[in-house]
Amino acid sequence: MIKRTLYFGNPAYLKTQNEQLVVELPETSEQRTAAIEDIGLVVLDHQQITITQSVLAKLLENNTAVVTCNHTHHPTGLLLNLDGHTLQSQRFKYQVAATVPLQKQLWQQTVMAKITNQAHLLGQKQIANKTLFNLAAKVKSGDSDNCEAQAAAYYWKNLFPEFLNFKRFREGEPPNNLLNYGYAILRAVMARSLVGSGLLPTLGIFHRNQYNAYCLADDIMEPYRPYVDKIVGDIVRMNGRFLEMTPSMKQQLLAIPAMDVMINGEKSPLMNAIQRTTASLAKCFEGSSRKLLYPVLPTDIA
Amino acid sequence: MDFERLNAYRIMWVIVMFDLPTETKAQRKIYAKFRKQILDDGFSMFQFSLYIRHCSSRENAEVHIQRVKKILPAKGHIGILNITDKQFGMMEIFRGKELIEAPLAPQQLELF
Repeated sequence: MIKRTLYFGNPAYLKTQNEQLVVELPETSEQRTAAIEDIGLVVLDHQQITITQSVLAKLLENNTAVVTCNHTHHPTGLLLNLDGHTLQSQRFKYQVAATVPLQKQLWQQTVMAKITNQAHLLGQKQIANKTLFNLAAKVKSGDSDNCEAQAAAYYWKNLFPEFLNFKRFREGEPPNNLLNYGYAILRAVMARSLVGSGLLPTLGIFHRNQYNAYCLADDIMEPYRPYVDKIVGDIVRMNGRFLEMTPSMKQQLLAIPAMDVMINGEKSPLMNAIQRTTASLAKCFEGSSRKLLYPVLPTDIA
Repeated sequence: MDFERLNAYRIMWVIVMFDLPTETKAQRKIYAKFRKQILDDGFSMFQFSLYIRHCSSRENAEVHIQRVKKILPAKGHIGILNITDKQFGMMEIFRGKELIEAPLAPQQLELF
């Protein structure tokens, strides 16, 4: 089932009653409730949000990802529960024991899926994408030729309209800010799902930066990034150069978990597709499968 | 962008209607417990003894129906009804003679 995303951008008091999240908005003295088990993602993005500890405990019990933002409204932290799966310690063991060849094969599949999705996205915008398909076809185990970077160079050069002079940097000019925001949402959903499949989001198959706490989430979300890029592309088309973050842009980016994607020939909301991906990953670690399940962006619809 | 999976034909509303005996103190206790349990499950009161819950898919609705079935009290008369959001949205609700708005469906994405 698709879980709900709640975004708090105004002063709010959050408490709980009857297994519901009770939201009090002091500015309008309104009161709303939401069943905690239906919530998948909570984004706390205001300095005047008060939250009780029992709300946090209940959210975490239900494997909700709680994202907190700083005063510049950028996500700074992610809270996840400690026991997301009944077989967690067994799954951890398999994950830690994953052999190097397996990790390399998984990374190969991931990079192939990512480049293919990038190619399809360019195809949707009628931009030449043959280079990317060629690259996707020759990704080696562990991506030893670094096709990912070659694809990225081509992809970012062509994805956005020329007037933006776009360069992809974390701290770069807009729309980098929009991409970062979208990726942060995606990462939160991915980390939540990994925990739900009994995996450690920290221990990656390719990313291994010692300062990164979400290596595996960053690995497995790669093929999903083009979906964020697609939404950012739509925002750019609507707004041109004016890309300071507005609430309506945030709303579009926060809708990412509900986006329809094609996975294994079926249409499914992105959040559910991610759950299928992480479940297939757990199977790979367990040794019962060697294939990761990733969604495919369609080329034909614009 | 496409959000077909969350449309008015897939979203379901589960409606639980119940009459429980409240003659004795013990019966009232059973009644209160049942009511509390369905509130905990995410139902909210629509009318006295009539509680509704929004479910984002048929499968999810089935989960909540099963949960209600598990906690049925020994005595009492209970109806469980399952309708689509489309049908639910066609309901007309009056306060006195005045037509009022239907309860708000929770959105997949909500900005507070």
